[in-house]
Amino acid sequence: MARTTSPAEELLYNPCEAEIISVADLTPDEKLFSLRMTDNRPLGHLPGQFVQLSIPGYTEAPISVASSPTRTGFFDLAIRRAGTLTAEMHRKVPGDTVGIRGPFGSSFDLTAFQGKDLLLISGGCGLAPLRSLIQYCQDCRDEFARVAVIYGARNPDALLFKNDLAEWRNSPAFDCSVTVDNVSGGDCFYGSVGLLPALIPPLEVIPKNTIAVVVGPPPMYRAVIEELKKKGMASSRILLSLERQMRCGVGKCGHCTIEHLYCCTDGPVFRLDQVEGVRGAI
Amino acid sequence: MPNTITEQNLRALIDTLVKDGSRVVGPKAAGDMTLYEPLAGGTELVLGVLPRRSAKETFFPLCEDILSYQKMEGKMTVEDIDLSRLPSTVLIGALPCDAAAPGILDAVFSWDYQDEFYLERRKKTTIIGLACTKSDDACFCTAVGYSPAESRGSDIFLLPLEGGRYRCQIISDKGNLLVERYKSFFTDEEGGNALPLSQPSMEKLDLQKIREWLENNFESDFWKEIAERCVGCGACAFICPACHCFDINDEGSEGKGVRRKHWDACGFSKFTNHASGHNPRDVQPQRYRNRIMHKFKYYDDKFGQTLCTGCGRCVRACPVGIDIAAVLQEIMKYEL
Repeated sequence: MARTTSPAEELLYNPCEAEIISVADLTPDEKLFSLRMTDNRPLGHLPGQFVQLSIPGYTEAPISVASSPTRTGFFDLAIRRAGTLTAEMHRKVPGDTVGIRGPFGSSFDLTAFQGKDLLLISGGCGLAPLRSLIQYCQDCRDEFARVAVIYGARNPDALLFKNDLAEWRNSPAFDCSVTVDNVSGGDCFYGSVGLLPALIPPLEVIPKNTIAVVVGPPPMYRAVIEELKKKGMASSRILLSLERQMRCGVGKCGHCTIEHLYCCTDGPVFRLDQVEGVRGAI
Repeated sequence: MPNTITEQNLRALIDTLVKDGSRVVGPKAAGDMTLYEPLAGGTELVLGVLPRRSAKETFFPLCEDILSYQKMEGKMTVEDIDLSRLPSTVLIGALPCDAAAPGILDAVFSWDYQDEFYLERRKKTTIIGLACTKSDDACFCTAVGYSPAESRGSDIFLLPLEGGRYRCQIISDKGNLLVERYKSFFTDEEGGNALPLSQPSMEKLDLQKIREWLENNFESDFWKEIAERCVGCGACAFICPACHCFDINDEGSEGKGVRRKHWDACGFSKFTNHASGHNPRDVQPQRYRNRIMHKFKYYDDKFGQTLCTGCGRCVRACPVGIDIAAVLQEIMKYEL
């Protein structure tokens, strides 16, 4: 979408144009889009942030950025076909343009991660926002101590970023475990079978030197947090990224509120101690 | 110091403001209703009636374009809205419950990010408030800390006097500018005695106590009892001077259309529904609880203000007779 005004005059609700560079299938319902801003400026995001993706005639949807800012010249969005906008997005091909507002929201506090052991836990499409952080850890590996990636999905077909998972499993930089809830007949799967929280008890955790990041569907949070607490992890060392229906992305429209918090601007990344007393958060 | 204006001059002032290019919004007859609408001249101003809808549309329209788009020769062009074209506005005759609301909404529209659409209109609008002389059974401004003589939020505040005059209280610089510019319409006479103002019957509620009760009763059966009958029509939110939730949607075809910001309501069943299908507030009592919590707790937690001016419109509009003032009184009866 070509703009008729310069970015300096950009209004809060107006998108800037981005071009699709490549499209790849992740699962039957999810595709990975690589994009670049058409004016070639970097998106300027930090791991954990999201953008409002828009297509004229189809409005907007909040999508987490799935690539690290250390990887320049493009940014990735993993998009599940769930409504009219995302279905239209799935019809797009390289060279097509879309609108981007943002990046918005809080990010993972990377300075607090320095020198720490990291437990990066995600379930289902929670891997999309976490991939930005995992890639960052890959690219700045020396900044952190041990890094463990733990990922779970319903079944092998539902696993996102299979190529990345294979790479991370083979990388000496990470300890990467993958599990699925169940394997249907004939599926070839290299990970374990069972619920994701079961992967936590065997881990060797030094609570005072560990930061855990948990991103996933709502039921997963409670079970995973319980296991982390059993390991002696303090709430202030557990980070979450919450999903809500953000419409404006800038703390105005009210759709994503959780008690007095605006998930889009106060979050989506929260420390557990910020939200454990907030009813309806997890 | 100019401190009174006659009703005749007030109407003449509207004529002059309109002639000078201002948009003047005030209570106006619309069929058998009174609504805050643009006035063509002073004779259209209706005094002494609480308009059916609040004055928030002056700053935050029910629906407004935020951009337009068009595909030309295969290329999509997006055009911004030129906010400099928003007219200089005088909101006149706003009753205290309506005049106070924008001052409450400034907090949400300007924290972190600035909502230019709201703030530009706000900057360009001068509010001439008017003391309230006619309340009804649904009014409860006195219960939430306001009153028929409350000037909070007004730039100029008018108090009706005997003999068709108004005492003008200049509240802000904006108000002072307007009075200075249109000095000839005002006189510095003292004027007569003040007319009796309306007297809503509800006594001031202990909003701090209500907040504490809300804090402790998120899971109370109370919500089910009072809100099971809520049909989720959203009338209370649309008619409220302080409710401000909105949605963003495109209208038009893929080739040409507009993106619009339009009112929404937390009482609507899909308001919090995610793309994943998860709906954090999936039953009506949870949504009604959010409405009360937002007004009397969350907004206060976040911005230090109560999100209600006691205008009573939601009480009058509710199709199933939910009375927010009665809900608050009910809460007051409980032990903390």
